[in-house]
Amino acid sequence: MTKLLEIREQIKFFYSKAEWIITPVAKLLAAFISLNVINSRMGYMPRLDNFGIVMIVALMCAFLPTGAILLFCSVFCLLHLYSLSLEVAVLGMVVFLLIYLLYLRFAPGESLVVMGTTILCAWKIPYLVPIVMGLVGGPASAISVGCGVLAYAFLDVVTDNAANISTMADEETIVRLKLVVDALLANKQMLILILVFAITTIVVYVIRRLPVDHAWTIAIIAGVIFNMVLLLVADLFYELVEFSFVRVFLVSLLALVIGMVLEFFRFQLDYGHTERVQFEDDEYYYYVKAVPKMMVPQSSRTIKRINRTSYVPEAEEEEDVRDYRPRSRRGGEYDEAEEYEEFHEEFSRRRSQEIDRELGFGFDTMSSFGEDPDRPPVRRRGGSAEADDPGDFEELF
Amino acid sequence: MLNEERVALMTRMASYEAGEGKRNMQIGRFFRSDYVSIQVLKAFISATISFCMVFAIYVYYNLETFMENLYQIDLVAFAKDVLTKYAWFAGSYLVIAYLVCTFKYARARKNLHLYFNNLKKLGQMYRK
Repeated sequence: MTKLLEIREQIKFFYSKAEWIITPVAKLLAAFISLNVINSRMGYMPRLDNFGIVMIVALMCAFLPTGAILLFCSVFCLLHLYSLSLEVAVLGMVVFLLIYLLYLRFAPGESLVVMGTTILCAWKIPYLVPIVMGLVGGPASAISVGCGVLAYAFLDVVTDNAANISTMADEETIVRLKLVVDALLANKQMLILILVFAITTIVVYVIRRLPVDHAWTIAIIAGVIFNMVLLLVADLFYELVEFSFVRVFLVSLLALVIGMVLEFFRFQLDYGHTERVQFEDDEYYYYVKAVPKMMVPQSSRTIKRINRTSYVPEAEEEEDVRDYRPRSRRGGEYDEAEEYEEFHEEFSRRRSQEIDRELGFGFDTMSSFGEDPDRPPVRRRGGSAEADDPGDFEELF
Repeated sequence: MLNEERVALMTRMASYEAGEGKRNMQIGRFFRSDYVSIQVLKAFISATISFCMVFAIYVYYNLETFMENLYQIDLVAFAKDVLTKYAWFAGSYLVIAYLVCTFKYARARKNLHLYFNNLKKLGQMYRK
């Protein structure tokens, strides 16, 4: 477990360092995959099914806000629908606008969830979405998942009836519209999936917020079972199309694994060291339960200053991975003589640094031979007047 | 000399300012009643546009029926029916929008309160 926690810390550290590149790359991949799925499943406008166009749009999405991915995906869908039929494109625009005006306007951050659900529906693995969203989202995510299923159901109805629509005469505009609207309204599977996913999302969310031990684990397992049972009951009564229990079971297992990974990164608690305290103030009596997070000592970076008043170049930065806890608390065998030796070594090192500083050795001595124009400004002891001036902050109050 | 506590506080505040704080500051510029009124007005416009779009699709879907029975339809009763449905739809949507906006405003004010407390703390650190 300690090794896993160390790996987690390393991944977090790596992400915090490389976040500037990881986020755009993730957006680029999300946009690229989504646009390719749309092109492969619809593809009524062959000009859009071009690697260059997809790549340019994906690159744009990488540097634009997240909502841009949904916007471009919607535009691609509408262009494909327009190639098929103007009426269907108008209907598609109405569906997308309804989703935006009635829901996404209030929750712009949920656009990725809507798009992700649609894409996973296209891959026939939407069953993991409610589990994941119940863990990382809020109750409103139930609506996002529902919108994603609605968008997919609309596109699915169009692709299923594409052959009929394209063979109809130009005058039969109302018939085309009726065909799609009737098929969409008669789609019971869509309503059932929206309902099941909404209930599962809320169940997972409620359980994971419960003040009980292992709430996340219980929420994941309960969500997976709940999802499978509801889908089986729905299949029993309404005979869902393209429903395969084996697929639902396998995707639920995948959801379980993803849920566990999320729990590992976001909610790893050490229940063995739970503390319960009680105290009171004038108005309340408090019953507090504090559960520590599972942590491993992180290697910290310290900057060794050879001369405090001097410029310290990058080369002087070194990683400090020493364990500063007393030896008696580090575990393993405790040797008093070894500790004394270590302390003596450390003391000698620090003393020699102090002597060097007092004698003026170190990098600052270079400044007496003239200023290097490429060198950053030297920060003197006590800091510069500008940095310590509280004047800017005074204005804020 | 770097003050680690100050750097940590500034980092946390900068992270808040760049993300959620930006939205919260926009909300915090308004009084509660002003913010909620503007949002409810926007929601009203959204609801109206949405209803109009759905109604247009409905009319187009039933266009043949309407054309055939144009002179038999009681237009006043039809308009009353449509307006009643519109009132129900817009009314329920506005109630939801009102609740959501009130909740969002309360949360934003609470977060901004914490942010300004941190700002004061930072100012005191600089004065030391």
